[in-house]
Amino acid sequence: MTPRPTDPSGRPVPPGPSGPSVPTDPRRRSLLSLAATAGLTAALGGLPAFTASAAPRRPTGEPAPSSPRDRLWWRAPGDERSLIEQGLPVGNGRLGALASNDPGRELLLVTDATMWTGGLNDTLDSDGQFPYGRADFGSLTLLARLTVDLPDHDLSGVHGYRRTLDLAQGLVTADYVRSGVTYRRQIFASRPDDAIVLHFTQSGGGRYTGTVTLEGTHGEQPAAGGSFGATLPNDLRYGAAVKAYGSGGRIRVNGPRIEFSGCADLTVVLSGGTNYAPDADSGYRDPALAPEALARAKVAAAARHPAGTLLRTHVADYRRLYERLSLSLGTSTDAQRSLDTWERLAARARDGAPDPELEALYLQYGRYLMISGSRGSLPMGLQGLWLDGNDPDWMGDYHTDINIQMNYWMADRAGLSPCFDAFADYCLAQLPAWTDLTRRLFDDPRNRYRNSTGKVAGWTVAISTNPYGGGGWWWHPAGNAWLSNSLYEHYEYTGSREYLAKIYPLLKGACAFWEARLLTVAAPDGPGEVLIADSDWSPEHGPLDAKGITYAQELVWALFGNYTEAAAVLGEDAGYARTVAGLRDRLYLPRVSPTTGWLEEWMSPDNLGETTHRHLSPLVGLFPGDRIRPDGSTPKEIVDGARALLTARGMESFGWANAWRALCWARLKNAEKAYQLVADNLRPSSGGSNGTAFNLFDIYETERGRGIFQIDANFGTPAAMIEMLLYSRPGHIELLPALPAAWAASGSVTGVPVRGGFVVDLRWREGTPTEARVRSVGGRTTTVVFGGASRPVRLAPGEAVTLKGFTR
Amino acid sequence: MRSPSYSVPRTRALRSLTVLALAAGALAAVPPAQADTAAPGPAAKPYMGWSSWSMQSSKYPGLNPDGDYSYLTEANVLKQADALAAKLKKYGYEYVNIDAGWWRDKNWTPHFDRYARQQADPVRFPRGMKAVADHIHAKGLKAGIYLPVGLEKEAYDKGAAPIWNAPGCTTADIVHADLRTTNGWDSAYKLDFTKPCAQKYIDSQARMFADWGYDFLKLDGVGPGSSKSGENYDNVADVAAWQQAIAATGRPIHLELSWSLDYGHVADWKKYSQGWRIDTDVECYCNTLVSWENSVDDRFDDAPAWARHAGPGGWTDLDSLDVGNGAMDGLTKAERQTYATLWAIAKSPLYTGDDLTRLDPYGLSLLTNTEVIAVDQSDAPPAVPVTPSDPQQVWAAKNPDGTLTVALFNLADAPAAVTADFSALGFTGKAAVRDLWNHENLGTHRDRISQALPAHGSRLFKVTPRGQALTWSGVEAEDPANTLAGNASVAGCSACSGGKKVGNLYQGGRLTFHDVVVPKAGTYQIRVSYISGDARSALVSANGNGSTRHTFASTGDWGTVTTVHVPVSLKAGANTLTFDSGSGYAPDIDRIDVPKSS
Repeated sequence: MTPRPTDPSGRPVPPGPSGPSVPTDPRRRSLLSLAATAGLTAALGGLPAFTASAAPRRPTGEPAPSSPRDRLWWRAPGDERSLIEQGLPVGNGRLGALASNDPGRELLLVTDATMWTGGLNDTLDSDGQFPYGRADFGSLTLLARLTVDLPDHDLSGVHGYRRTLDLAQGLVTADYVRSGVTYRRQIFASRPDDAIVLHFTQSGGGRYTGTVTLEGTHGEQPAAGGSFGATLPNDLRYGAAVKAYGSGGRIRVNGPRIEFSGCADLTVVLSGGTNYAPDADSGYRDPALAPEALARAKVAAAARHPAGTLLRTHVADYRRLYERLSLSLGTSTDAQRSLDTWERLAARARDGAPDPELEALYLQYGRYLMISGSRGSLPMGLQGLWLDGNDPDWMGDYHTDINIQMNYWMADRAGLSPCFDAFADYCLAQLPAWTDLTRRLFDDPRNRYRNSTGKVAGWTVAISTNPYGGGGWWWHPAGNAWLSNSLYEHYEYTGSREYLAKIYPLLKGACAFWEARLLTVAAPDGPGEVLIADSDWSPEHGPLDAKGITYAQELVWALFGNYTEAAAVLGEDAGYARTVAGLRDRLYLPRVSPTTGWLEEWMSPDNLGETTHRHLSPLVGLFPGDRIRPDGSTPKEIVDGARALLTARGMESFGWANAWRALCWARLKNAEKAYQLVADNLRPSSGGSNGTAFNLFDIYETERGRGIFQIDANFGTPAAMIEMLLYSRPGHIELLPALPAAWAASGSVTGVPVRGGFVVDLRWREGTPTEARVRSVGGRTTTVVFGGASRPVRLAPGEAVTLKGFTR
Repeated sequence: MRSPSYSVPRTRALRSLTVLALAAGALAAVPPAQADTAAPGPAAKPYMGWSSWSMQSSKYPGLNPDGDYSYLTEANVLKQADALAAKLKKYGYEYVNIDAGWWRDKNWTPHFDRYARQQADPVRFPRGMKAVADHIHAKGLKAGIYLPVGLEKEAYDKGAAPIWNAPGCTTADIVHADLRTTNGWDSAYKLDFTKPCAQKYIDSQARMFADWGYDFLKLDGVGPGSSKSGENYDNVADVAAWQQAIAATGRPIHLELSWSLDYGHVADWKKYSQGWRIDTDVECYCNTLVSWENSVDDRFDDAPAWARHAGPGGWTDLDSLDVGNGAMDGLTKAERQTYATLWAIAKSPLYTGDDLTRLDPYGLSLLTNTEVIAVDQSDAPPAVPVTPSDPQQVWAAKNPDGTLTVALFNLADAPAAVTADFSALGFTGKAAVRDLWNHENLGTHRDRISQALPAHGSRLFKVTPRGQALTWSGVEAEDPANTLAGNASVAGCSACSGGKKVGNLYQGGRLTFHDVVVPKAGTYQIRVSYISGDARSALVSANGNGSTRHTFASTGDWGTVTTVHVPVSLKAGANTLTFDSGSGYAPDIDRIDVPKSS
């Protein structure tokens, strides 16, 4: 995505994200009865929404303790003014928060994935493109702000402060000592109880006295009785509720606050949500859902259980996902282990010495964010569930020209396939609206990207999308192919025919769009004709109206292949599949420029854009596609041209651009370049510089001194790390394709899904696999490759085989 | 604006001893500053009290209802004096200082007697200035008053005003013929002390204050300083005249100088006064009394160089301590504690400008913390930074009893952990740590004390070493085994060990020490001896690894060596250590000392 506020290119760009201010003046609505709410939400069951939840399964017994190797820790809390870099994220997949962990004032900035302003946004600007403001297109915004004030617990007056994020339990803890008493608070976001829980305890005879305050951030009436509810100007209703309980002392609701005094321990439970519904027919609303009442019911239900029970329930739920993958990249030194996470990042960058345990922790942190941010609701956009205000850059939206795809590259690769569902469900719920908008608006004569064939079919998207079927900024014709290919890749990992049937209409609609759009032209290199994409912009540089851009050609080529495979698997539309296969055969594919030696980006030998541009759009066939393979199956000149282009793009970029580069270098089996890019993303960000913030969020410096959190690198970098250890495509698994020296001594990864329907456990020593266990989760045949030797594997679903004796 | 006045300094010899010892090493053992047991001399300790200027200068609602600076009235001063007596006197606060405007009406029009001496504005002080001093004295407190330096233009009266008790002298006889102006506002004619009448004029003012019963004079707008330089703004002779005039009255009147006094004249300020403001006003002239950026935080950069010049008889004045009421002060709780911490460890006078009738409980606790006040009033020298002046920094002073006063500061805009490594304090092993603000013993710590600090936060500890003194091995910057790059070159330096240093570290200048040998891998606090007439930074790196930029506080001039400790990650055996100016300017390096253990 482009930093439009400061686009240095001087090229025409659409309006920046600093559009109209966030709507205010929400209207309070009367409450529906709880009974009516429960009835309706039952009818919606299974759809991603804020709904009544089934009674959680309550585990018995204590969870196994986690290891220090699973923990990030810090020696300072977050500042209220810089929570985006210092707040610790929690989330239950839908409801998220950034927590300050300040002893005297715990602050949670709470977001619901559906808390979006804006709407369908179907009145195009004069240039035939989409408006991109906070009122029309919309923005993800905060749901609420929760503070727990402990007036006598100023940070300046406590000692031994420490805060921990336990990635194995999904648990934030802060400890400190004040006047001889050890105080501890635990914060977690529970999916089974659909609530965020804060549990304050102490040992040594201390007491808690203070206030809990729940507030909206959109100018709502103050909370009363522990809850508030309101309606945004786009008619989205929302609400949140909080309840506090504990032992000893006194707790009472007083106006907008809950006051507590003399409590030996205190539990605060928060829930909330909106009446968003992932249903185009209903205008993406559930008119019967009363969010405030539902939130009150949820906190009341949770508060019937002690905090320890809520925690055990959460940990059991969280671990079911977290433990699907384990990772060791080697052993760090005692000196490295003795440092807190922030010091450790600084030392890693300063001394240049690998810190394999920190690097593994970084990957697991990405998995933590995925589990916390992508379950049962909308998928994660540019910031996931974590905001520090109501004006996130680029609306915190879904950018379809790299960012949302990158967010989900790691879901399957890192053993979190269930977290992918939010992405697929989102696309499917948007499809009717996307189809409608495409049909009505794409051929607008003012749209420079319209089809010159005069035909329109199927669907496509804009560069930005919202959850109301709307697009923002410019049309993005090839966006449909990239989304489709991303969704199809999930099928390749899971092998779920049911899932494939679900996304099949989406693939087919994308094919229909391209069937109507492709132009027939004389082949540039000789006899015959080829099909090329109509006028388009290679994201996000170079000419605005170029035909046959590599980005579109590659994505459509992959789309057509995926569609024909899907049709064959499902036994659908054999005739149309043949048509699509025929189109695919005629697609022009990029050649290598005789001028630059690079794979061409614009069907031109000339470099028409920025040499070191952040996007790797013309390499989309190298990653995430795999048309370009350095294994002899792709003409050497194409591989060389891709490598030359990647080399020219350089190693000096930021966050997601580095992650994408690392993935491409992993595909080209250049382990050290891939590792360097991973290490560069781990550099601590200071003063807004590119790198990793205190809380490990990735920071992108859009202008000097101004760093923006973009979550994509937090997912793209782990995806690159996995790709360095395992490369797969259906029928092919390559072990340790790009293992850097830093991780070579010994390591292991277990539970890695691979394309074709298998899961791999891998151990290595001195850069060579000692053992690879391949388990079928639906796949039947594949080939395991290492060091030039291939071993065929044939398994029935559920079977596993362990391979040994690998040599270089 | 503001300044106190008093009597003649008498302990110069003793103080120069102190200065020499401090110059030898930041935390070198210092002889107890107050060695003699006779009655304390003037300003034996930093004074404590209240000043009117913070409230006069603020636009905080209600403070100045009759226009700018109108807070200053007899009623308000006496109200504050009463509150000071009731709430703070028992903690050592005693001065009630009237700042600028006592002789000017609400339109700032002045009043003078027939001898060109400032006279009370009858609206502000209907009973005159003596009555105010009498009331203050009756409360067991001391009274302070204020003047700008020079002959105020409005007092000139065409040169015809006679000088009191100086037959034949008129205002024409005390200034230069060309009526050149002076002081920080150019609001006065410069006095010409080659003319005997000039001293008589100062004598007449001092006599007036003594007669009224004042104990303190702030002389303001003094140069070089007060944003001025050059001959017309050199007021050293004025200050000397005041010292002489005060002595002649026989009344001890503390003389305090203001503002942003020139460092190059520190010997003059020490010779003739009891305190010198080193910075511009701490007040923000805004809707609160002060603000963090304008200009509490400046003091962290400016105080270190002055520290070695402070001691009994004369102190570094950091200006008012406005921490008593959070809403009025315009500061967070953490900022207020930090403000008070720096003032105490720098041994600045502790005079608050708050509304003493409206102190909030936290503010009162800050102003009356006896352990913190004791640091300010102790016989130890002012603390100085033992680390670079980075956003997280550590200051320390060695106390006569062998303990250390150690302050941690986090000047960043977000919370951060701050660590005082014991090796940067000169010892290794264990130490007992007491938290002075919280009156709490934190037990025994090994090798370091580290705490989480809020944004702009601080901690103040007494550290009692229970370990061993650290031993060091030093390498001179000019050692021929070192490598110089870019402009870097060896230069003579009389203050430096070995008589030489490496300078010209600018725009790519680089100094690399080779064979920095340590027994085992770890982070070492390298003691860097440097000279830097202004604050400069350098990129420090080991073994060609990534560098860290550190800022080195100004040493005040180019003839004084100071040390700080820079953390460097070293491997066992030989290491290289590089100081790189980068694209800017780095300090001159005298030598480094490497501790024998990490």
